[in-house]
Parts: sequence; C-alpha cells; structure tokens
Amino acid sequence: MASGSINVSIPSIPRDFGKKKRANRSAKLKQCKLDARREQWLSQGAVKNKGCKEELMGPRVSPQQIHEEERKNALENLQMRRRGGGVGVGEDGNGNGNENGSIHHDYDLDSPLNSPTGSSVLGGNESGTNFTASSSSSTTSGSSVGGSITEEDGEENDNCLDDWEAMADALAANDDDNKLENHFDENNPCLELQSSLEYEPAVQLDCDLPNLGFQNENLTQERKVPPRVTPGNSRAWRPDDALRPQSLPDLPKQRSFKNIDRHYGQGVLPWGCASGVNVPTSCPICTEDLDLTDTSFLPCSCGFQVCLFCHKKMLELDGRCPNCRELYKNDPVKVETSVRRGSLMELHFLALANGNKKEQSSDNIEGSLSG
Amino acid sequence: MNSQGGFSMAGGGGGSSATATSSWVSPTSVSSSGKRIQREMAGLNLDPPPDCSAGPKGDNLYHWISTFIGPPGTPYQGGIFFLDLIFPIDYPFKPPQVVFKTRIYHCNVDSAGNLRLDILKNKWSPALTITKVLLAIRSIFTHPDPYDPLVPAIAHLYLADRAKHDELAAKWTLRFAT
Repeated sequence: MASGSINVSIPSIPRDFGKKKRANRSAKLKQCKLDARREQWLSQGAVKNKGCKEELMGPRVSPQQIHEEERKNALENLQMRRRGGGVGVGEDGNGNGNENGSIHHDYDLDSPLNSPTGSSVLGGNESGTNFTASSSSSTTSGSSVGGSITEEDGEENDNCLDDWEAMADALAANDDDNKLENHFDENNPCLELQSSLEYEPAVQLDCDLPNLGFQNENLTQERKVPPRVTPGNSRAWRPDDALRPQSLPDLPKQRSFKNIDRHYGQGVLPWGCASGVNVPTSCPICTEDLDLTDTSFLPCSCGFQVCLFCHKKMLELDGRCPNCRELYKNDPVKVETSVRRGSLMELHFLALANGNKKEQSSDNIEGSLSG
Repeated sequence: MNSQGGFSMAGGGGGSSATATSSWVSPTSVSSSGKRIQREMAGLNLDPPPDCSAGPKGDNLYHWISTFIGPPGTPYQGGIFFLDLIFPIDYPFKPPQVVFKTRIYHCNVDSAGNLRLDILKNKWSPALTITKVLLAIRSIFTHPDPYDPLVPAIAHLYLADRAKHDELAAKWTLRFAT
C-alpha cells in the first residue's frame, strides 16, 4: 500500500524538487523546521520512553551493535533510544527477525527505514535483503525503498550523490560496517530520491536527529534538505496506513491515547473478572456495554447491575430492582453498605475506593433527581 | 398504567393503536429498545422454549407473531394458537403486549384475545425477556389461573366442574385452533 503510494508519487515530484533542491536551500527555514521537529521528536520520545527502552533490550544481539549504542549513549539519551530502534531494524532486515513480536515495535522499527537517514545508516544493507526475502515487519518498507530504486534508478544520481557520499563516508567511519558499503551504490539513488521526495516529512527528521547527533555537521546541513519539501507533501501517510511510523508527531500520540483508552476500557473487564467472576459486561436491560462507572455501580444488594441510564429510568418508573423487585435504596450510605455486602464484588470494590465515591455522588444526583 | 389511546409518535412501534404507550419517547430509547429486542431475538433463536415459536412479523422489529402448540395432556392439545406480541417503544421498561389471535376457551383469555398475566402487567420487570414471557404463556395452557380470571365464568367452571371445562375447551380448540 505504502509502496504503491510512493511509487505513484515518484514520477511526478522528484524531478522538480530534485533539480531545485539545492537552489532553494534556505538555512533559516530549515533551522526553524529542524527545531520544530526536534521538539516534536523530543516530546514523542518522552511519550515513548518506556516502550523504547524495552525495545532496546530486545534487539541488541550483536556486540557491534551494542558497541554502537554505547557510543551513542554518550551523546544523548533520547538519541540513543531512537537509534536503538534503528538497530533493531537493521537486525530485522538482516533476517534475525527479533522484533517481529508486536506491531507496536514494528512501527517503531519501520520509521527509520522509511527515513533517508535510516535507510542510509542502517537500512542501507536492508533495502537489499528485505527486497528479496524479508521479515514481516520491514518487508513493505523495504519493498517501497526498492520500488523507488527501480523507478528512479540512475535518473538523478548526479544530483546529490556527493552529499550522500560524504554522509556515507562519515557513516563508514563511524559504523565500521562494511555491509553498508556493499549496498551503498544501490542505496544511493533511493536516498537521494527520498531526500527530494520527502515521503514522510515528520519522521524523516525525527529519525535524522539521532543520526545527526553522531554524524558530522556537514551531514547535518545536508539533512536539512527534506523539510523544505515538507509542506506540500502532507499526504504521505494516511492515519490508518499500516506502515505509518509511530514516530510521526501527531497521530502516534493519538494512537497512544487510543491505547490508553483501550486499556481503560478493557482494563475494567479483566480487573472485574479477576475479582468477581459474574461481573456483567453489558447492561442486562439495555444491552449497552457497561463502562467503568457502570461496573463500579451496584445499585441493589442482590448484586444485579444495570447501567446508570437504566437505573435512572427505573427510579423514574417504580424504583425497583428488576432482578429482586426490591425497592432501590437511594441513600448513598445504604448504597455503600450494599456495596460492602456484595459478595462477588467485594474485592472489586475494595480496589475501587475512589470509584465508590464517584458512585455515591452519582447516586446522590440521581436520588435528588428522582426525589 | 399505559395511557390508552395515546399516540405513539416514533415509527416502528408496532404501528397499531394497540401499542399506545407514552406520548413522547426519546430516540435513544427507541434504538436501545431495538437493540434489546434484537438481542432477545437472537437468544430466542438460540434456545427456543418448547412448543412455541416467535419472531417479528414482517420487518417490524416491534411487532412479533408467536405460535403455540397446545401442550399434550391438556384440552388444548392438537391446537395451534397464534398470538401477537407488540413491544412498546420503551421496552423493556414497559411490558410487551400479548394478544391471542386464535380463540381459546381459557379463564385468563377473554373473547378479544386479551391475556391476563401478572408478569405482563404489574409484575413486569425489565429483566424479563420474551423467552420468559413465552414460557409464562405456555404455563397457562397447562395451569390456568382461576383465581385471577379475565373470564370469571370459565374460571368458575374450571373450579367447579373441571371435566366440563376441559370438554368445552377441547371443543373450542377443535373448532378454532385446528
């Protein structure tokens, strides 16, 4: 999917931008954008601190990579993390496939791949391996890189080859990884393409930052090329794109929020199930799903749970529990005692001390409404 | 309880004047009642009670038709009884309305087909489902309740002369329900 979109974009855009690339280079603008990206990336890094750390632990296998990371560790903590993801990609692409466990990781790992630096530093060897036979996480990105190679191979080789050569030199000096050299030629047009194309404006710089950190200033200057193209190219990633890197500034946050939400929503169930087996997941009256407030709401001593809406409605009607036909007790204190008496829910509610207060207050409100 | 003659505004409320419930119903309750009825329908298909069936009449979710087979060992044996089940818009907070469409000689069913059943009136609970209602209806075939009659004459006969009552009921079954 992503490769398709990239392939489509290739024929039209790069010729313009690739030629004008150098002429248009405005250091000021670039610096502004770079700063903005850096901020975005830093905030992103703060959000993803935990996950990245865990990721780091996983993929580190070869001593050389560990060595790399240690080196970068001296540079900057966050940078190291990002770089750690990149190393994971390299490994992944090389067929180790250590990081295929979770999608979350895969997204992280994909991002450096799609970025020019990522593919130059790490994905350089990767675009080769992935292209032919590859692991699940980086297959698509790898093939997208490959697609760009096939389409544009040799077309703009002369354009910014020197930039990338310089970069590659720096890399070779730093990385002492000869695999990279092998694929350098193949990688070159692709990188140049990406720098002119700017597939994913945000991520590129995000991922660039760590690499820039340990590369030389010259490269830093070079890497400022992409953001110039950024504004016109915002359609690179759709929100539901499977390949969409997690390090993209905005939506990853939304995604993490979503995850949090999901944790909240689902957290209720395992939690409730852990304490009381018979905690219903949906209101038996209206069949709507019970949310956290509803599950912590026990209106009747018989243990029959309903959602707050249905409870309110039944208070308006006859005020009796549908299960035992007892009158609902609107007194919050009695609700509290009924909560205590609820045998199934006892642990659950002990854990939900705060939830009880909420429940009381809601019951108060309902009582005052109905009364 | 129900405001008879009230006008049900929302569509899908059975469409007949017999479904008159409350004069205004919020759209949310309509959708929630629909959801609940759909879930009950799924549960009913999954585990149907014996000797009866029920399902929506046409594509109106709120208007069901139900069929009962006269249970063996009763004077209603061999008869097939059709009933209309009409769900109010604010179901399950209000009970469904059940009407016999087939004439039956029964102390709890009058000549218009109205059924007297406590759980369909004052003993209704939102926790009851249509499956339980069907089971309750089935139970009155085998165990009429002469102490809460809708037709006192039949209840009196049932108590006074059970054989005569059964004979008449079987005759009605043969005449109207087969």
